[in-house]
Amino acid sequence: MANEKTANEKIDVVVVGSGASGSTYAAVLAKAGKKVVVLDNGPEWKLTDLISSDIWGRRLKPAGGPILLGGKNPFAYANQGAYAVGGAALHYFAQFPRYLPTDFRMKSEHNRGHDWPIAYEDVAPFYDKVAADIGVSGDAKAEEQWRPPGQPYPMPPMKTFPAGEVWRKGAAATGIHLIPMANGMNSTMFKGRDACIYDGWCAVGCPIGALANPLVTYLGEARKAGAEVRGLSNVTRVLTNAAGTRATGVEYYDANKERQVQEASVVVLAAWSAQNPRILLNSATDKHPKGLANANDLVGKFMMTHHIAGTWALFDDDITPHLGTVGAQFMSYDRYAKTSYPGAFGSSFIAAGTSHKTSDYALARGDLFGPELAAFMKRAARGLTHLTIFGEDLPQLENRIELVSDKDEYGLPMARLIHSFDGDAVALWNANFEQGVKIAKATDAKESWPGKGPVMPTAHLHGGAIMGTDPSNSVTNSYGQTHEVANLFMAGPCIFPTEGASNPTYTIFATALRGAEHLAAHWGSVAG
Amino acid sequence: MTAIERRAFVQGAGLGTLAFVVGGAEVLLTPRQAHAERVPLRTLSADQAATLDALGETLVPGAKEAGITQFVDQQISGPPEQALLQARILNVRPPFANFYRAALGAVDAASTKNKGRKFAALSAAEQHDFVGGMRVNTIDGWQGPPSPFVFAVLRSDAVDVVYSTMEGYAALGIPYMPHIAPTQKW
Ligand SMILES: Cc1cc2nc3c(=O)[nH]c(=O)nc-3n(C[C@H](O)[C@H](O)[C@H](O)COP(=O)(O)OP(=O)(O)OC[C@H]3O[C@@H](n4cnc5c(N)ncnc54)[C@H](O)[C@@H]3O)c2cc1C
Ligand code: SF4
Repeated sequence: MANEKTANEKIDVVVVGSGASGSTYAAVLAKAGKKVVVLDNGPEWKLTDLISSDIWGRRLKPAGGPILLGGKNPFAYANQGAYAVGGAALHYFAQFPRYLPTDFRMKSEHNRGHDWPIAYEDVAPFYDKVAADIGVSGDAKAEEQWRPPGQPYPMPPMKTFPAGEVWRKGAAATGIHLIPMANGMNSTMFKGRDACIYDGWCAVGCPIGALANPLVTYLGEARKAGAEVRGLSNVTRVLTNAAGTRATGVEYYDANKERQVQEASVVVLAAWSAQNPRILLNSATDKHPKGLANANDLVGKFMMTHHIAGTWALFDDDITPHLGTVGAQFMSYDRYAKTSYPGAFGSSFIAAGTSHKTSDYALARGDLFGPELAAFMKRAARGLTHLTIFGEDLPQLENRIELVSDKDEYGLPMARLIHSFDGDAVALWNANFEQGVKIAKATDAKESWPGKGPVMPTAHLHGGAIMGTDPSNSVTNSYGQTHEVANLFMAGPCIFPTEGASNPTYTIFATALRGAEHLAAHWGSVAG
Repeated sequence: MTAIERRAFVQGAGLGTLAFVVGGAEVLLTPRQAHAERVPLRTLSADQAATLDALGETLVPGAKEAGITQFVDQQISGPPEQALLQARILNVRPPFANFYRAALGAVDAASTKNKGRKFAALSAAEQHDFVGGMRVNTIDGWQGPPSPFVFAVLRSDAVDVVYSTMEGYAALGIPYMPHIAPTQKW
């Protein structure tokens, strides 16, 4: 049984979650002179803990509950989640494509899904600010064939290697324009952080700081400005005043499993799309019987994830598959229009040529075992490469987080994340495989095949507390401020009303920066 | 975990070898060394170990000597948040020992039902056929976690010990290029 609560001094802001979104809020508010405490249930790994090994890298991910999985297409929760101060961005691939204008107005343009309450133009300045803050490498001019112009990136594109370059021929032959991927990685020294050395260990953490992870970017800045970060601190509930009108802080269990209360003038939930709604639902009181910010039953709804159509190609030549980063070398928005394929709906984003580790080679032919696998591994080590096409999942009310009767170690209900793809998503997934195979067949590869199995692979999680124009259609406004409780903010992809097909984290940083700057600028009226 | 264990976990995170218990004391070994030194198992029974050795070897040649059984046994004997198993990434619900017991039990039960012998006692050809059947879910009377899932998880464990170590990279001629090398090439 947990011990009784201990007292913590009341502070200005408590931020729950220290990943991309939480660290951005922490940095902005600490620099604005606010007293900030960041709580994260993961351990405080240091850069020197980030061992270059696929096996050891698994320590950075969740092990079991409190999120159970359901639906026809369960989300790859543990693979995509974090068990670390720094969140999933401690071990992400840092592909930084942005959303396009069409993503913000799906409802007006196609009468499907939702519109965002803001436009691309509202977010664009924050893409530029984030790039200047944490470092992005890429070719902005080349991207402008698909999006409005903006600032150049602070660093030139990353280096390319044969395993990426071999896709160029196939793409050109099929009318796909490949340009350098935008990456949250250093192609050159950036603000004292080293340039990348292309050894491909990013997905288990980059100890040299070439990858824009929160420890070396916003969380580091937040600490420098006086924010306190407490690891192994598991937040269970947001606490509210007797009238239910204001958040007063959070309840959490510390490393010794002791119950603590952290009072604060403002609460920011940045615990990702699965845990954020769970915490709101578990924060029910007599004034909020269905959960906090959930009068309209929209908390935990519209969960979305990208589906992945991956195509493998095997070359006889040595294309050095081990060189590069785990972020792709090239990208294209040429299939991003929502109606790119007849009979399917939604955006698709193409990413070509990443570096690979031995576990990837084995996954490329998950059907092989015994001597056939051993022979394949030898060929793959010289000649394997991959092209990924991410596809959009439309917001559906029934894709949801809901509380279940199983309890976590603190006696609070766990949650189930229920997710199924609809017919449009399946059609888009199939179309993307056809597209990928067409490109691969037009390269010089000896063999190519779709990485298609019975399971539709998923990546990235969005929704659960979406933003909108008013309480009838959303949980928060465009800054992530909940409609019901003015001093409670939601941060991260949980506020996205649609998910586009681009990897989301550049947009997570940008929207969090927009929300945090708004909060700092309107502190008096929000904090009371 | 107690607070002290948690601190040790975080501080000990830089270690690349695994802690095995030998003669009551903890020693740091790679799974291959643990296999060679016949380190006593903590969770798996002798029968389960024989099955896992044979399955591992069928899935990825070299997995038995590389210590698949010692690796899995060591990993399922500690707290789940310290586990390095692919089962963790594939959303197996802890404790992970339950999954391995159920999986190995299902293999032996189905092998005994269909062939009259446990998996480890089958010929190499029979073992290969059986594992092929697991992959496509055609094993008659299989009872336990879905056989294609068991195939995928155990195959990944076998890939880990054979190919995801520094030795494994060297055997394939791939430069390992670590920022922070796992100690003892593990
Ligand atoms: C392998 C991998 C590769 C990826 N590659 C890319 C990529 O190339 N490009 C891209 O855009 N995105 C990528 N992503 C996705 C990206 O990492 C996430 O979208 C992003 O990091 C999410 O940020 P967040 O702040 O919303 O959540 P998180 O980073 O998940 O942070 C949430 C934090 O909250 C903590 N937390 C959760 N619950 C609680 C609680 N109850 N109490 C206290 N703390 C809690 C967690 O420990 C975590 O640290 C990748 C992800 C993975 C796993
Ligand atoms: S490839 Fe670059 S970003 Fe990735 S781990 Fe190595 S140095 Fe870091």
